[in-house]
Amino acid sequence: MSAKLTDRSQQDFGLSPEVACQVRDLNVTYRVDGRELSALREVSLDIRQGQITAVIGESGSGKSTLALALMNAVSSPGRIASGRVTYRGLGEVTGMRGEELRRIRGKAISMVFQASQNSMNPLTRIGAQLLDLARSHDLPNPRAVLREAGDLASRMSLDADRVLTSYQHQLSGGMRQRVGIIFGLVLKPEILLMDEPTTALDVLSQSSVLEIVRSIQRERQLTTVLITHDMGVVAELADRVVVLYAGRVVEEASTAELLRHPRHPYTRSLIQAIPRLTGDPGDAKALEGQPPSLASVPNQGCVFRERCPYRMDVCETILPSFRFDGDGEHRFACHYEEARHD
Amino acid sequence: MKGLLPRLIKRILGGIVMILVVASFTFFLIHLIPGNPVEAKLMQLETAGVTPLRAQIEVQAMYGFLPHQPLDIQYIHYIWQILHLNLGQSITYAGVSVTHLLLEAMPWTVITVTSGIIVSFVVGILTGVIIAVYRDRGISNALTLFSTFLHGIPQLILALLLAFLFTTIWPIFPFGSPYDAVLTPGFTLPFIGSLIWHAVLPVAAYAISSYGGWALTMKSSVISVLGDDFILASELRGLKPRIRIGYIARNAILPLFTTLTLSIGFMFGGSVFIEEIFDYRGLGYMLITAVGNLDYPLMAGSFLIITVAVIVANIIADFVYTAIDPRIRT
Ligand SMILES: Nc1ncnc2c1ncn2[C@@H]1O[C@H](COP(=O)(O)OP(=O)(O)OP(=O)(O)O)[C@@H](O)[C@H]1O
Ligand code: SF4
Ligand SMILES: [Mg+2]
Repeated sequence: MSAKLTDRSQQDFGLSPEVACQVRDLNVTYRVDGRELSALREVSLDIRQGQITAVIGESGSGKSTLALALMNAVSSPGRIASGRVTYRGLGEVTGMRGEELRRIRGKAISMVFQASQNSMNPLTRIGAQLLDLARSHDLPNPRAVLREAGDLASRMSLDADRVLTSYQHQLSGGMRQRVGIIFGLVLKPEILLMDEPTTALDVLSQSSVLEIVRSIQRERQLTTVLITHDMGVVAELADRVVVLYAGRVVEEASTAELLRHPRHPYTRSLIQAIPRLTGDPGDAKALEGQPPSLASVPNQGCVFRERCPYRMDVCETILPSFRFDGDGEHRFACHYEEARHD
Repeated sequence: MKGLLPRLIKRILGGIVMILVVASFTFFLIHLIPGNPVEAKLMQLETAGVTPLRAQIEVQAMYGFLPHQPLDIQYIHYIWQILHLNLGQSITYAGVSVTHLLLEAMPWTVITVTSGIIVSFVVGILTGVIIAVYRDRGISNALTLFSTFLHGIPQLILALLLAFLFTTIWPIFPFGSPYDAVLTPGFTLPFIGSLIWHAVLPVAAYAISSYGGWALTMKSSVISVLGDDFILASELRGLKPRIRIGYIARNAILPLFTTLTLSIGFMFGGSVFIEEIFDYRGLGYMLITAVGNLDYPLMAGSFLIITVAVIVANIIADFVYTAIDPRIRT
């Protein structure tokens, strides 16, 4: 078994050197009232080794679904209808099941949950649960995990001894969320998926926790996927940004490029909604209207057209395909932008 | 663990109050019964030629108080006797102290009821977990159907059915008292074997009648826990199935303890019918004998002891609950 694993860890599975995880043509559906509704459509991504890739989008755009799909953990009524997710050194997780998948989850790929303040067993002390985690992954020295967790706790300005001997209900929401992050980091994963990791924190502790995550990420060269709906968080932390709208990727670029030259109208509206970025709070304006629900996402044409100020006739019928910009590092899917630049 | 002891003490004090309430209730019940039985007994003795003094002594021994005294004195006498574990003398078993009768009967009821509860609780919970975990498979539907069916049969009917099947049609189990009369009680193999053999049918009646309820309640509890965030988290953290099932089971069992508390009272109540049906000489049997013979001291004593048993069992259930759930302790 271990021989097989070491073999695998040397393999790149066809990924180019800077890519840690490759997503190809991913389609995820949820079965609702007997109908298969698409939550992710034709999502393709290259997640870069050692970088923080942010996934941004409104509520319902499919961010958590994407995070689950990255662990092949979409569960009923949802399923991965088609597509592949492949990791360097691990292989194609979308083809794995059972024990093989379990060994990867929480160890090589770990996730900090959107509801991570509720991610602990209420009946067991935090320390005991860390030991459960260590034993589940057959670590030779489970106690070392407690030490590592204690170090992480101190870095996140928690009282390590107190946290480890506490039950979940004895900790505040913010403390629990930090504990959730500790669970995600403690086994030193190669890939860290974070789904809105700081939603339970106030603005101040949010930025301090993100700061610590960033520094640990740098130390370990940790490949990180950061899911958020907050462009401010993206600007502070991310190396690259993927913009998701109604289950589709609509734009992707490096953070600096995206903030300076947003191309998709949706991305622009996200940036404009952030007073911190435009500088003038009076300029900040939220996008009007609501994103479509799963059942009402149009099957043809541009998914954003209901709310798009530049909407054209072609947008009704033809799905905009990706255009590349800036030596192929920046891509977007919009008919209007495409016409403007060609 | 700091909250454990105060909670226990509170529970025990509550239990004592409860016992006093039941004792007072039986005291006043005896007074309210038409043709006050204490007075009647006194009259009966006196007309039979017994000297008034002797008659009074006998009645006092039987009930713990005398009808001529003021009510508050009677009451205090009565409670005082109870506190000294003196529950008077039986009428049916003339001259035998009620305490003696009940102490002899009590172990059998406590043993059978407790075994019935434990067996049904454990088996029901395991069934519930299986039903919930294999939700989409045939076995789950079959077990659900089976549990629902058993859940629907009233305890009384079930006991009659068992008695009819296994002591009449197919007499493989004995009928009657808790052990074979030829054996002397003690820690000997034949005696214990005989005890178990006699207990099978009553225990089965208790267990089967409550099993379905546990299975169905546990099923829905497990399904609700499976939807909790921390269970998804434990899966995505790659915890071993064994550890995950432990997480699920402990969390799912907790809500069942409230039902357990109710069930304990219900089962002790059911002992009245079940022991009657199987001619099993426990507390329930005593109570129904007392009622049949208008043996008020025995009746009051049985009431009281059954109450004590229910309260003690509840305190134990509560204690276990507190030990499992840290949220109550702190
Ligand atoms: N179990 C489910 N059954 C049916 N539909 C679901 C289920 N889970 C998610 N969905 C739908 O899939 C879509 C994407 O959901 P997802 O949770 O991935 O969004 P999100 O971007 O993470 O949103 P949020 O910011 O609110 O967390 C939503 O429309 C949601 O209603
Ligand atoms: S494709 Fe059309 S509708 Fe969609 S964003 Fe571009 S202009 Fe707007
Ligand atoms: Mg989400």
